[in-house]
Amino acid sequence: MTVEGARNGDRPLVEVENLSQFFPLTGGVLQRTVGQVKAVDDVSFTIRRGETLGLVGESGCGKTTVGRTLLRLIDPTGGRIVFDGTDITKLSGRRLSPFRRRMQIIFQDPFASLDPRAQIGSSIAEGLRIHKLGSAQERRNRVARIMELVGLQPYHARRYPHEFSGGQRQRIGIARALVLEPDLIVCDEPVSALDVSIQAQVLNLLRGLQAEFGLTYLFVAHNMGVVEHISDRVAVMYLGGIAELAEAKEIYRTPLHPYTIALLSAVPVSSPRERETRRRIILLGDVPSPVNPPTGCRFHTRCWLRPQLDNPTRCETERPELRTIEGFGEHQVACHFAEKLVPGAERDRFIEAAARTSSALQTAEAEAAESTTPAQKDRGGLFGSPSTDVPDEEGQSRL
Amino acid sequence: MVSDTTAAEIERRRAEEAEAESADIDRTPVRTYWQLVRQRFLQHRLAVIAVIVLVILASYAIIVPTVTGDAWRTTQLFRDDAPPEVFAEDGEFTFAILGYNEYGQNLFARLGKATQTSLTIGLAAVIIIVVIGVFVGSIAGYVGGWVDNVLMRFVDIMLSLPGLFIILMITAFFGQGNVWVVVFAIGLTGWTTAARLVRAEFLSLREVDYVQAARALGASPQRIMLRHMLPPAMAPIVVAATLGIADSVVVESALSFLGFGIGRDSASLGTMLQNARDYFFSGPLKVVYPGVILILIVLSASFLGDGLRDALDPRQRVEK
Repeated sequence: MTVEGARNGDRPLVEVENLSQFFPLTGGVLQRTVGQVKAVDDVSFTIRRGETLGLVGESGCGKTTVGRTLLRLIDPTGGRIVFDGTDITKLSGRRLSPFRRRMQIIFQDPFASLDPRAQIGSSIAEGLRIHKLGSAQERRNRVARIMELVGLQPYHARRYPHEFSGGQRQRIGIARALVLEPDLIVCDEPVSALDVSIQAQVLNLLRGLQAEFGLTYLFVAHNMGVVEHISDRVAVMYLGGIAELAEAKEIYRTPLHPYTIALLSAVPVSSPRERETRRRIILLGDVPSPVNPPTGCRFHTRCWLRPQLDNPTRCETERPELRTIEGFGEHQVACHFAEKLVPGAERDRFIEAAARTSSALQTAEAEAAESTTPAQKDRGGLFGSPSTDVPDEEGQSRL
Repeated sequence: MVSDTTAAEIERRRAEEAEAESADIDRTPVRTYWQLVRQRFLQHRLAVIAVIVLVILASYAIIVPTVTGDAWRTTQLFRDDAPPEVFAEDGEFTFAILGYNEYGQNLFARLGKATQTSLTIGLAAVIIIVVIGVFVGSIAGYVGGWVDNVLMRFVDIMLSLPGLFIILMITAFFGQGNVWVVVFAIGLTGWTTAARLVRAEFLSLREVDYVQAARALGASPQRIMLRHMLPPAMAPIVVAATLGIADSVVVESALSFLGFGIGRDSASLGTMLQNARDYFFSGPLKVVYPGVILILIVLSASFLGDGLRDALDPRQRVEK
């Protein structure tokens, strides 16, 4: 493995080229395909050795599908997946098996990811048994070592999943992924089902393991804060495509895609001072259906920049490619007009205008909500709401 | 004084804590899945009663025909419709607790033989149903695609044909009165619901995270099906099987009642009912005995199925 690693040392560990994943929609008696859910549409990226690539986006944008397709848990509709210099897109069965050993997955839901009928020691050792590694005693020792590594006690091995807390189960899932000493781990929202305090513990564990074993992570999440904490680079997905890809620091400091700007403006800010200066941009409407995505730029139906540029038709007709912007190094954006959002007076003006529209909308909504509340109060009173009736009753009883 | 007791108290508590800690590091009793299942099952009173009833019926079906030998079909002249007679004239125990039928056959022995035949047919037919059902259902559910389509359409065709009619045809064609022909006839027509059940379980299990984890680890399809999908799918299969026993016993009785099942030279609950039909008013007990046994088998099997369904569900909590 080290020899191979040295041979392909300069290449990224994972290269994904034009990956597409369409799920057929069937209907009618004959189960004919009547449409396709374009979960992932023409996505390309690379993951370098030892780095963490964060993959963020709203639910339904295809980020989980990218992770699963990468692991060949789902067969891609199109495109290529190159793992450590080998095209694994078409491999299957015995030929795929050595690569299965080198890439693993950690799941979102720690309650569904473990077999409730198996002792966790046996769940963790499953990979070793599948690949026929070591004797029974060696396997036991290996499992015990891995369990200690992820912060579990070796005597836990004989227990069942229902005896553990969510955080502990997630550690078990990590141990299972780690036991084969993989190169790549796809973390599919590994902390979003956990408590905030446990989230930090698990994230730090993942980082520690990365440093110790030189792991490469594809970190799928919808929490911008978590992704910032753990990622070296971040890819932002919208409706099956990558909108922006850059160094984590870079993307959080100067997002260049209108979608990323709106997304980051929604991240809650803890400091009151920053909260005041924050310019919140609210996107209108819902995410369009991936069955029938918008033509051209997939974001153009909700873009806040487009109206300000007098609705250029290019957004509707031509799908923007992921491209670098001059002066921004590796920073890649899929927007025809990313140059307009390069830091400067123009960018500030655009964002200011969008934020003003959003806050106007917000106040209008709040007013609308307020006008309905008194009516509700009245109705409540009729049915004996405590706020109005109780004092009266008390007064009567006192009399 | 006061400080003394508190000091002692603290000392005692400390010792307790230390003990608890060492116990924790040691091996706290782990209740396995099956221990939990047993506990949940025992809480289900009707199911426990059903097990007891079934055990009694099964021992009756095994012991009485073995002990009495040919008594179930030995006709005794002058004993037609004779009343119960526990001891013969020479003081020998006769087993004729329920009296004799119109041919002078020992009813108690005959009922034992009939229970034996019916239970055997029920169990054997269910084994066939489960084996075929699990095989077809798991392949359809795991492989999916056109394989699933072909298998499930075949199941649909099977279901659209009237089951009893097919069974009648098979038994009429392959020799009436043979127990094994009846078993195969019931088994070959009854596996479709089991197959659908298993397929549905496999379809949903295929997407479960721990199955995906096994795939990611590189497990072969056989390993995934046998180790990760069949055990959790077993619960509904076992439940369906117990209910299937009741079903098969009823089908066999219906078949024998119609004269296509077990012939008159053997005895099953159906043939006994069929024989007793002519004496419905003159000797109603002849209808009651096999009828009660039939009802007991069917009820017990369905209560057992209910109990198992609750017990095998790992989501159900055990109350202490």
